[in-house]
Amino acid sequence: MSIKTSILSSIGQKLLLATSGLIMFLLFLIPHMGGNILFLFGKDLFNSYAHHLHKLVPIVIGIEVLMLVSISVHMIMGIRVVLANRKASAKRLSQKSSKERSLAARLMPVSGGMIFIFIVKHLLDFTIAGEKAEIDMHGQTGYDVYGMVLDKFQDPVHVAFYVLFMVAVGLHLSHALQSALQTYGIYVPREGSKIKVVSTVIATLMAATFAIIPIIAFTR
Amino acid sequence: MSKQINLTLKVWRQSKGEAGRFETYEAKNIDTDASFLEMLDVVNDELTVKGVEPIAFEHDCREGICGCCGALVNGKTHGSHDRTTLCQLHMRHFEDGQELVLEPFRADAFPVLKDLIVDRSGLDEIITEGGYVAVKTGNAPEASTTPIKKEFAEAAMDAAECIGCGACVASCPNGSAMLFTSAKVSQYALLPQGHPERAKRVKAMVSKMDELGFGNCSNEYECAVACPKGIDVKNIARLNREFIKHGFKS
Repeated sequence: MSIKTSILSSIGQKLLLATSGLIMFLLFLIPHMGGNILFLFGKDLFNSYAHHLHKLVPIVIGIEVLMLVSISVHMIMGIRVVLANRKASAKRLSQKSSKERSLAARLMPVSGGMIFIFIVKHLLDFTIAGEKAEIDMHGQTGYDVYGMVLDKFQDPVHVAFYVLFMVAVGLHLSHALQSALQTYGIYVPREGSKIKVVSTVIATLMAATFAIIPIIAFTR
Repeated sequence: MSKQINLTLKVWRQSKGEAGRFETYEAKNIDTDASFLEMLDVVNDELTVKGVEPIAFEHDCREGICGCCGALVNGKTHGSHDRTTLCQLHMRHFEDGQELVLEPFRADAFPVLKDLIVDRSGLDEIITEGGYVAVKTGNAPEASTTPIKKEFAEAAMDAAECIGCGACVASCPNGSAMLFTSAKVSQYALLPQGHPERAKRVKAMVSKMDELGFGNCSNEYECAVACPKGIDVKNIARLNREFIKHGFKS
């Protein structure tokens, strides 16, 4: 078995899925959430955070490249795995719904696809087409990122879109975190598993934190 | 105390290479002490008298240890009673007048041969790839020459309980054979006798499993619920560890 065959084996592909997912979770999702929380503490703090982040451009670009690679690997492997699984399964004609399979697990391809759509829309909203007013940041030119966020979330439909897609993020993460650990060979028991509970709690908290920003922006 | 019940069976009838269909039969005066396969024997006797071809189903030991029997009863592998094969499932679990839908195990890697019989030789092919240890033949060695810790011996025995019935594959939404393969890899990986071929085994068995068109594990654990021998998903975690350790070395 060559290295290439190992990588493209069922377990190899899942290891790539888990690793690319965990990279995005640890290096992107968590710092992004940390930054977003600052929005709740008002205009000055959030703008100052955005200003300082701007100074770290080389690191930010490095992470962005890593994200692009991770998201590509994650999507390619995800699609390959899902297609192979569709082919391998045969439809039961008398199928009964099972209690074991969680909704999150069932919806992994759907929530994954939704997250991709969301990322495109989110980048269009804030990175590519985001209009920021220039402001003075302690003698330097800065941007009113806070004002841009506030402006974007004045439309309730837009707020609802963001909140709905954060539900997809929560669902995806709740299965993804525990699933990645089992793929790495860390035993996640079927019943009474603390790992499953912790996965769900982290996923829910993260989704809720992300979802609260547009709601708060709308009310301000 | 036993009693007699009547059932309606909707049974999948299919000959190799032909499209299948459900046929409805009555199972009359079935003793509740009978096993599921004995119930099918009674139905088949009546079908034979009527000149209808009997329902084909696989069976051998009828003691729940050979792994031959199995079908979907109302969509559940082996009828899904805790740790019970179809041959050990008794009719007392069913109610008078109940309708039962009988289908063969469904998976792309398990083509239907006839009625409820599927071709599960894919599992045998996975075993052929590495489910053995190469040892010198002769007298059995003295047991105490290879001491094995109790916990390892027990875990290996738990894994070795797998009878290869294929319920894990049929219950998996992805038609994956990971639970089966992981049990077979585990029973050797846990014991010193299995160590010389450890790396070769895990690579060869996973590679064969993929080649035969079994799906990927998406950690949904349907297999462990369906397994009549209670094989645990900790074996899948162990298979993943074995593959991480040995799978990327040439």
